[in-house]
Amino acid sequence: MNRLRALLGLLLAAWIFSPPATAQTSEPNRYYIQQMIELAAANDEHGVTTTQQVLAQSPKPKPINPDGARSAVQRGMTAFEQNQLETALAAFQQASQADPSNIEATNYLGLVYRKLNRLQDAEIALQQALALEPTRATAWFQLAQVYGLQNDGRRAVGALANTYRFAQNAMRAEEILRNIAENEAADTLRNAALETLRLYKLPAQAVIVPPLPADPGITPLKIPAGSSRARP
Amino acid sequence: MPPDAMKITQAITLMLAAIGVAGIGPAQAADQYQTIDFYIQQMITQAAANEETGVQTFREQLENLKRPDAGDAAKARPFQQQGLQQLARDNFKEALAAFRQAFITDPADSEIAGQLSLTYLRLQRFKEAERLAVYTLSLAPTHSSAWLTLGEIYGQTGDSQRAGGAFANARRFAKQPSQLAEQLRGLMTADQPEAVRAGAQHALQASGANPNPKPATSAVLPPQSSPPALPAAATPSPPSPAPPSPKSATATESPSAEAASAQASAMLGSLKQGLKKLSNRADPVSRAGDSSRLQAPNTDNVGQRIYQQSIPLTCLIVTSRNGRTDNLGSGLLVSADGLVITNHHVIEKADNLAVKCGGRESTASVRKRSKEPDLALLATSLKIEKSFVLNEIYNQALIGLDVFVIGNPYGLEGTFSTGVISGLREIDGVRYIQISAPVSPGNSGGPVILSDGTVIGIAAMGLKKGQNLNFAIASADVIASGLFDAARMKTQRLLGVK
Repeated sequence: MNRLRALLGLLLAAWIFSPPATAQTSEPNRYYIQQMIELAAANDEHGVTTTQQVLAQSPKPKPINPDGARSAVQRGMTAFEQNQLETALAAFQQASQADPSNIEATNYLGLVYRKLNRLQDAEIALQQALALEPTRATAWFQLAQVYGLQNDGRRAVGALANTYRFAQNAMRAEEILRNIAENEAADTLRNAALETLRLYKLPAQAVIVPPLPADPGITPLKIPAGSSRARP
Repeated sequence: MPPDAMKITQAITLMLAAIGVAGIGPAQAADQYQTIDFYIQQMITQAAANEETGVQTFREQLENLKRPDAGDAAKARPFQQQGLQQLARDNFKEALAAFRQAFITDPADSEIAGQLSLTYLRLQRFKEAERLAVYTLSLAPTHSSAWLTLGEIYGQTGDSQRAGGAFANARRFAKQPSQLAEQLRGLMTADQPEAVRAGAQHALQASGANPNPKPATSAVLPPQSSPPALPAAATPSPPSPAPPSPKSATATESPSAEAASAQASAMLGSLKQGLKKLSNRADPVSRAGDSSRLQAPNTDNVGQRIYQQSIPLTCLIVTSRNGRTDNLGSGLLVSADGLVITNHHVIEKADNLAVKCGGRESTASVRKRSKEPDLALLATSLKIEKSFVLNEIYNQALIGLDVFVIGNPYGLEGTFSTGVISGLREIDGVRYIQISAPVSPGNSGGPVILSDGTVIGIAAMGLKKGQNLNFAIASADVIASGLFDAARMKTQRLLGVK
């Protein structure tokens, strides 16, 4: 009880003295997100809920050009679907600057950074998305993958636990976790998914032989310019 | 509990359910399942007690729950089709992968969810199967196949009472009750656990159907032991079947109609079994993991014959250190009780070992190891009928013979390559066979095979300079080493080159 009071007091103080929001995730917000991860990994239901509520009430950034941001998001999504990641990145960056409160822009920004293996940038963008909407399961899932790729198992578990906690469809999330726990080649993420399933006492099966990466570095053969095949 | 007290309890439960205060709130993700499971369990209890009103009340409660958002049905469909094909071939792992993908893509499709549940059941993963069956029924509370699957899950786990209730609901909501009754009879007579049989019998008796198969039917038709839910699941049907009216669902058909339907059902069952056998025969490679089914391949091509004989006995070895995957290599099964030979350098730094031989997996422990020659003997839980035979010939007559190498270079599982024996070399007192077959990291520990199917060496190393200069530890040295166990491993002294 005393621990809970102390935690609430701390959170309240942090909220009162938090600086005004900017386009970047503020330090207190980052702290709350990390707290949510830590508490989720420890399966502290009340702690997660309390922190989430404080985070949800934190000041949000103001939009500068919401219409411009929306059209940039559309452009970004089109480029993303065509796997043009650099073009998508530029569009989402533009959207995020035009409207820092646009959750789609920041969420996609995080996704594209992750795909480009810019993990630190991905983490910042996804934390920004979670500061806007702490119950956004897809952002938690992306963040879990970032931590998995950074070999940070503990935080990957916390982020996956929050993915499940805030999932719209719990059974789908459960099956996604099982899929990762059985088929993911990256050890940290696979083990984190298994641990998350066990955390929630969901049925899980540890693999005996870990899955191997699907692509051991195979690259398509390129025909050099001016080669004999190019001639008629 | 006295009957009066039971009725009072049931009435209170019904009232609570009717006003929606069953004590469970759907606020959190984990609670979603508890809520639907509560209603499903109530439907089972009411069905087991043959309480029509109770079943319908809880069914309505389920139907009033918020439905999950629809996914991408068009994208899910190919995965579903793939799953159905694999399920029909009894390739349950492959079916699981496909149905899982379909489910993640469209979690609101009750057919897909039901098929995923059935696949888990076939894999004997009962907890997952139960959760998916319960979820399916939250999407479609009158999904007869899902009730049947759920009944079988409870029966397989020894709960005959709940099996009976679930089976009763399967029959209650069946579009063709007579066909369902025949499936239940199949569960009673087939080689099923006691709780499945008892549950099926209870459901048949409760619905007024005859639990005993008609003598005339069983005398004329071949015995049927096909799984009950497969025919329904293997045939895609509309996502949400319209719930039948309670009257039609519980009404029993006339005996003649029932007999005709039973006949048709049994014929369908035997036809499906025949088709399944045919598809298994036509696809020997996909079944290669089961060594008990290993048969001499009917082919004149030496490479194909060697591959098909050897692939179930060739292993992928994955090592882990500090909880993370560390190294991978190859190995070969050399005894009926699952001893595997590999290279020492593959396993030397491992905390834990796992092997996969022809699709079957096991953890492994190091039985013996030696640095010179670079060999290790692993113990696994795999039991096989045939194992590799080590050929102890080591002389100049080998040079020029064709060799075949199987292994997992860079994790490319089951890679098959060919070459010839290029020479015989002795390096630091170890006899090697120099081969021209390509060998890469991950091939280490794999078999080098002659055209008679015997193993002439264990792939061990290659020269980085030059091309196709690779080396295998001669089987003669494996036999001469301390790893060899004459009582359990087979050897051959002659060149039986085919």
